[in-house]
Amino acid sequence: MTQLSLDIPRLETERLILRGPEARDFEPIAAFYADEGRSWGFGGPMKRDDAWRWLATSIGHWALHGYGFFTMELKDSGNACGLTGLWYPEGWPEPELGWILFDGYEGQGLAREGAARARDWAYADLGLTTLTSNIKPGNDRSIALAERMSARYERTYHNVHLGEDLLYRHPGPRGAA
Amino acid sequence: MMTSSHAPVVETPDLILRGYREEDFEAFAGFCTSERARFVGGPQDRWSCWRSFMAGIGHWTLRGYGMWMIEHRDSGAVAGRVGMIFNDGWDEPELGWHIYDGFEGKGFAYQATVAARSYCAQHFGLDAVISYIDPENARSVRLAERLGATYERDGTLLGVACHIYRHPAQGDA
Repeated sequence: MTQLSLDIPRLETERLILRGPEARDFEPIAAFYADEGRSWGFGGPMKRDDAWRWLATSIGHWALHGYGFFTMELKDSGNACGLTGLWYPEGWPEPELGWILFDGYEGQGLAREGAARARDWAYADLGLTTLTSNIKPGNDRSIALAERMSARYERTYHNVHLGEDLLYRHPGPRGAA
Repeated sequence: MMTSSHAPVVETPDLILRGYREEDFEAFAGFCTSERARFVGGPQDRWSCWRSFMAGIGHWTLRGYGMWMIEHRDSGAVAGRVGMIFNDGWDEPELGWHIYDGFEGKGFAYQATVAARSYCAQHFGLDAVISYIDPENARSVRLAERLGATYERDGTLLGVACHIYRHPAQGDA
């Protein structure tokens, strides 16, 4: 059969490897989406079959856009600890920087470490000049992280999939460097 | 970015089965948002269609096989999709076919499905496969029978009752 070639880079931070999504990521993603408290701000909760389609969708996103969500993997253990990257579905106002952590990996600064690397990559390698993060009202942890990354609230808009949504704007390439 | 290299090209006299391209989305969404999609989970809103389109690409990466876009050789237009679907929640890989508006009644569904079924048996080891069919989808039932598939049992797909047809093993076809 034809070799599947998705040109997804492998990025590194001090503690993380950011790599393309793979079939082995399905179980942690299914567990994440089964947990309403963890996934409500990220399109969840979802049943297992919907979580599988979400993973397939995220791979297709890479194929068509040339960017998407990386799986964040801990260098130490090799375990997948979350996702971060760029997301620009049909109907979204503009490409956004997103992040989630799987259960057990919060409180260590991993989301910020991974998201900052993805943001640098978007500016330096993809040539994007601005980035947003779309955050559900009440998702205080995500808002706090956006603000720690110097993103600022810009407006509230209606998301085609998620309903009322807050749009935060990140500093541009110079401000984020 | 090699966006069309995820699926091999399979040719028939009138059709080219190939991978997804960004410009296929409008034809895909036209089907997906229409009543024509009522037997295959539709009609859906545009956002859900986008998600299905992306998932169709990712399916090739996750499973190593999937559905092809059917390109009409003479016009270059997208005439539908055909191939294997094995999303989470499916009993086993399923051979499916969707023909878009304006391409019915020309034997294209048969031509595409025969080619896809044969290719999947030879190259992916997927033989004597099933098709999930809504019994009210008379056109699909007729095509399944013309393809030599036979009713095997009642089943459910994502909680919806349907009939399961079994295709003949390709060595015997």
